[in-house]
Amino acid sequence: MAAVVETGPQIHLEHVEKTYPNGTVALRDVTLEIPKQDFVFLVGPSGAGKSTLVRLLIREEKVTAGTILVEGQDLSRLKRRHLPFLRRKIGMVFQDFKLLPNLTVFQNVAFALRVTEGALRHLKPKVEEVLSIVGLEGKETKFPDQLSGGEQQRVAIARALVHDPLIFLADEPTGNLDPATSWEIIQLLLQINARGTTVMMATHNREIVDVMRRRVVAIEGGQIVRDEDAGGYHAPALESH
Amino acid sequence: MHRLWNRIDFAFSSAWQNFWRNAAVSVASVLIVWVVLLALGSLLLVLHSLDQIVALEKTKASAISVYLADTTPLSSAMDFKLHLENDPRVTDVTYVSKDQAMARFRQLPALDPSVIDTLGTNPLPASLDVTVRDIRDLAAIDQEVRTSPLVDKSPSTNYEPNVIDKIILLARVAGIAGLVLIIGLTGLSVFIIMLTIRTAIYLRRKEIEVMKLVGATDWFVRWPFIVEGLIVGVVGAAVAVLIVGFGYRPAVINLQSVLIFIPLAFDPAYLRVVLAAMLVFGLLLGSVGSYLGVRRFLKQ
Ligand SMILES: Nc1ncnc2c1ncn2[C@@H]1O[C@H](COP(=O)(O)OP(=O)(O)OP(=O)(O)O)[C@@H](O)[C@H]1O
Ligand SMILES: [Mg+2]
Repeated sequence: MAAVVETGPQIHLEHVEKTYPNGTVALRDVTLEIPKQDFVFLVGPSGAGKSTLVRLLIREEKVTAGTILVEGQDLSRLKRRHLPFLRRKIGMVFQDFKLLPNLTVFQNVAFALRVTEGALRHLKPKVEEVLSIVGLEGKETKFPDQLSGGEQQRVAIARALVHDPLIFLADEPTGNLDPATSWEIIQLLLQINARGTTVMMATHNREIVDVMRRRVVAIEGGQIVRDEDAGGYHAPALESH
Repeated sequence: MHRLWNRIDFAFSSAWQNFWRNAAVSVASVLIVWVVLLALGSLLLVLHSLDQIVALEKTKASAISVYLADTTPLSSAMDFKLHLENDPRVTDVTYVSKDQAMARFRQLPALDPSVIDTLGTNPLPASLDVTVRDIRDLAAIDQEVRTSPLVDKSPSTNYEPNVIDKIILLARVAGIAGLVLIIGLTGLSVFIIMLTIRTAIYLRRKEIEVMKLVGATDWFVRWPFIVEGLIVGVVGAAVAVLIVGFGYRPAVINLQSVLIFIPLAFDPAYLRVVLAAMLVFGLLLGSVGSYLGVRRFLKQ
């Protein structure tokens, strides 16, 4: 299990429950600790509650019961006007990239800085820096529809990096990508993790999870059924019997 | 400095794009704002004119002008004047010649001198301006003088019983009708601006989603839409202000040449107040409409 850091875990869920307004129970009694700089795969069948967990962490949704602490901050007590500042600490990418089609690669990344009024004075160098991290130098003036899926996901990752996030959440980032491209994206996430950012990735990609041997948190029916430090996509066969 | 400029630039360029992206809806909301402000400006000016007429009528409540036929010789007029002066109910009688009447008429502030010059011969009658001790005697004196052959027949005097009451009533009716109309139109325009903003928000839902995701504040997301509402308000108000501002004087002059015996005043100081009020009201419509538009949507 992950070692408990003196300052406490960076992400801490305790007895978290989430029931949507329509009555669907998406998470029940989830307790989870993630220390700084951890790399976590979140696996589980469709409808297990992976995306719900991610949405709770950026407080796109609020817990029904239980507590979530991010960087020591209780998310259910977080005032709405402080929410943007939480989001700036968390980089987030999705299966569908969420790029703006009428903006170029450069503008899509710069957009995140403009609308949060961050690093405006050094906007150009900052955008160039993150674009070079994701390996998109030279594509600055392309529009999203002129890029491959993998390149579009790189733009989304670059955009999520402009605020130097402490935490990086990826909800099925390789869901739309072929295996080779998926591996490239994984390499990028490892690189981001190596720079000191905590990474949590929800995925259905069995091959990647099995090869990587990183921490795996498996959810089923809204509950954590497995939490292994160097796990695979499926639970190990019960050899002990 | 960077931040302020970034905020202004972002808000205005997005608002401007929004405005043209759903141009039909935007133009509809500009039109309705324009109609509201035109109604508001006109109502304020009409009520002001009625006010002025009432004030003027009150000062001359105890006087009556007896118009003399153009055929009346001056000596007969003077005899008639003496006869009236001897009346115990009368305190004062002044003779006003045709030329003096014209001179007074020319001083009406709203009248265009060139209009008078096209009249050729002086159509105004000479008159005896009679002041009475007690206004309740005006009716009796009016009846008496009308029988005199010296007196013009159309009209004989400027005696108008209850004219003040009539004007006050007219002002009240116009005021209430105008107010009801303006309140209705105001509600309608706020509603249409709200719809315009909702449409703009819908067209920008992807941007808004990304903005929230990367940590833009609520107000940063809202400003472009508020600014769009303000643009609608200002454009609608500006067109109305131009029309009222340039149309007021010609309107008064035209009316004056029809209503010769009612002195209408052109009051530039009041006009400036009305125009300023219209602009402020336009801005208010725009900001209230767009605030209502963004309020519900951006809560989640
Ligand atoms: N906004 C919502 N309103 C109501 N129910 C929802 C909502 N979002 C998700 N759910 C339900 O909550 C449960 C968990 O959904 P969630 O999206 O978290 O699953 P997931 O693990 O991400 O699945 P997938 O692998 O298919 O993405 C599902 O039963 C889903 O139908
Ligand atoms: Mg999901």
